[in-house]
Amino acid sequence: MSSATLENHSEKKAFLVKSSSLKEVRTFCRDVFEKLKIEQSLKDELVLAIAEAAQNIVKHAYKDNQDSNDIMVVKISCEDNKLQIAFYDMGTPVDPKKVKHREIDNIKPGGLGTFFIQEIMDAVEFKDGKRKPWINHLVLTKQL
Amino acid sequence: MSYKISEEGNITTVHLDGEIDMDVVEKAKEVIFPHIDSGKEVHLNLSQVQYMDSSGISVLIESHQKALEKNTKVIIKDVSKSVLKVIMMAKLEQILNLE
Repeated sequence: MSSATLENHSEKKAFLVKSSSLKEVRTFCRDVFEKLKIEQSLKDELVLAIAEAAQNIVKHAYKDNQDSNDIMVVKISCEDNKLQIAFYDMGTPVDPKKVKHREIDNIKPGGLGTFFIQEIMDAVEFKDGKRKPWINHLVLTKQL
Repeated sequence: MSYKISEEGNITTVHLDGEIDMDVVEKAKEVIFPHIDSGKEVHLNLSQVQYMDSSGISVLIESHQKALEKNTKVIIKDVSKSVLKVIMMAKLEQILNLE
């Protein structure tokens, strides 16, 4: 948690749902966190959490539709030192009960992205209520 | 991601450069795995890798496990501070061979 008071700020950007967009997602996040003057170590963690969530959309919500030209939207908001990152996509509906990371002591490739997100963020929530045209609406929050 | 390979005796060193994410993970495997499969000791130099996500970590785990199967080893060298943090978050610093 940071003791500095950050300016309220909100920014969003759309990206093609492709693995090649992940670099752009990270660049967008770094630019926003630069404006918010978030210190480097925390910035790195937040960028990782956001990139992992975006990767999950590409990898899981579009698992059977990898040639799609759909977009996903990432919205970063900071209000009263509370950071909220929202993700919107039109992929396969996510069942929040099935979203879990592997046991961390079970050493094998895969299943770490969700673990990283949960380690870094305070809360991870799939919102109910569809806002057309979006199917999935994930919100990550962290008190700064 | 770019890479450079150097060989000395039975040791192949793969120098990776850039950001390792889902988009380049197959390329990273194509670069690293054949050397492990040939039974060589592989050194992965990560000094120029400034970002690695869970996909990149999976390549490190897979490389380590593949090396065990082939009775050789993969040593991760000169890991950057930012990547080390991710390795530690995954609680792998005692599992992978870090130097």
